[in-house]
Amino acid sequence: MIWVETIVNGLLLGGLYALVGLGLGFAFGVMRIVNVAQGDFIVAAAFLGVFLLPWTPVHPLLVIIPVAIAAFGIGMLLQWLLINRVLGHDQIPQILLTFGLAIVLRNGMVELFGANTRSINVGDLRFMGFDFLGLKLGVLPVLILAIAVFLFATLHLWLRKSDMGRLIRATADDHRIVQLCGVNFRSIYAVAMGLAMALSAVAGILLAMRGSFTPYSGADRLLIAFEVVVIGGLGSFWGMFLGGMVLGVAQLVALKLDPASGLMYGHIVFILILIMSPSGLAGAFRR
Amino acid sequence: MSLLRVENLDVFYGDFQAVRGVSLAVDEGRTVAIIGANGAGKSTLLNAIVGLHPQKRGKVVFAGADVTSNRADAIARAGMTMVPEGRRLFGTLTVEDNLRVGAAAGRKGPWTLGEVYRLFPRIGELRHMPAASLSGGQQQMVAIGRALMTNPRILLCDEISLGLAPKIILDIYRCFEAISATGVSIVVIEQNVGQACAAAQYAYCMLEGKVSLEGPTADLSMEAITAAYFGLDHA
Repeated sequence: MIWVETIVNGLLLGGLYALVGLGLGFAFGVMRIVNVAQGDFIVAAAFLGVFLLPWTPVHPLLVIIPVAIAAFGIGMLLQWLLINRVLGHDQIPQILLTFGLAIVLRNGMVELFGANTRSINVGDLRFMGFDFLGLKLGVLPVLILAIAVFLFATLHLWLRKSDMGRLIRATADDHRIVQLCGVNFRSIYAVAMGLAMALSAVAGILLAMRGSFTPYSGADRLLIAFEVVVIGGLGSFWGMFLGGMVLGVAQLVALKLDPASGLMYGHIVFILILIMSPSGLAGAFRR
Repeated sequence: MSLLRVENLDVFYGDFQAVRGVSLAVDEGRTVAIIGANGAGKSTLLNAIVGLHPQKRGKVVFAGADVTSNRADAIARAGMTMVPEGRRLFGTLTVEDNLRVGAAAGRKGPWTLGEVYRLFPRIGELRHMPAASLSGGQQQMVAIGRALMTNPRILLCDEISLGLAPKIILDIYRCFEAISATGVSIVVIEQNVGQACAAAQYAYCMLEGKVSLEGPTADLSMEAITAAYFGLDHA
């Protein structure tokens, strides 16, 4: 039973990991842009959450909303002012640009907030639990999984059904040709980056509520995001969700066996999957 | 006054000059053909006119405005668009979604989903299929439909008969009469001289980046076209 509980908890954590990967994967799927600064933006979102927490009415969980809106705006600006200038056949300029941005962000945060470990305090919610078929589960982790599933499903439906979603899919297919339909792909990219950042910001806040963070956590966050996206198979939507689940379960099961292992076994599982199926899990099913 | 006027256009790929001092004019409601062998610079010329290819010198005037340095999306919203070579549909989108993307140009006019399906009944039947799953001829119809959905004043068509069966080419060219009847100007680029000259009232022949011959299609003799097409004069 204790193992079942561990696996269920791994799935709950995996939902959050999937969400960490979603922003990165979405940006890559639409624009073929790898935003190396995504991890540090996730941490910056958590700092913004800490800052806004005292002014958040009703419940601390609601701090997600203003942070997501701010991240959307910052994402659009980032794309308009910086990344759109270095678009082209060569991906190296984008990677160098966002890599530089990551360094500036990380050190800026150390300078501003110090290197202390922090977390976002959600009050009693963090310690509340319930019994489900004999399993002891936390309310917060279940809530977080529900938020992750909700965001995956909403994004999926929105991309399928809305006018903007259709333009984003068309732009992802061929950004040169959408111009012939009167669509400025740079604007579509700005919206897509705004969304990617908003999703990452939500993930950042939730990570900070479940655990803790320092200005240096960005590298870990980015690693998780990369692993989720690659395990899922680049650009595969629900593959990413599966990728998050695999990482979450691997990590918690391994922690049970070897409490000092940290994230190591998650990374080992990642490498094994990469060796066995280089195109990710979704790629393995597609074949 | 011409709806589209190109003056002395040079187009480059890096150091290579693909189009050399081309001038042409298309009047409102007319159909013009640009013919020439593979590599004559026809596609490059079209890409430069619609704003997809930025490396150029000279002047492109559309509806009285200089659009030489405008972006392709702004030009499309102003009423000039292209059916690109190789169709270039949004492969993961359904046929209908492909057409709806064309409507994003936000131009009012006669072309709606219903009108496009009336012109091409077959793609109406396939409207929920992914565009990539269609045959070449059907994809070409969707590509033309997508361009029509922007309600253009002028439609540039790049090698629409390339790789299609003769019967399908005939079907597609027959539709051009209906499109032309709504007042849309059409420019067709073709390697297939007979097809293009039958559809157009005026033709330009390109050779090695230059216009080697031009005139009303009724006045152009096959010998003159052959000479201009293959460059027999200086062979």
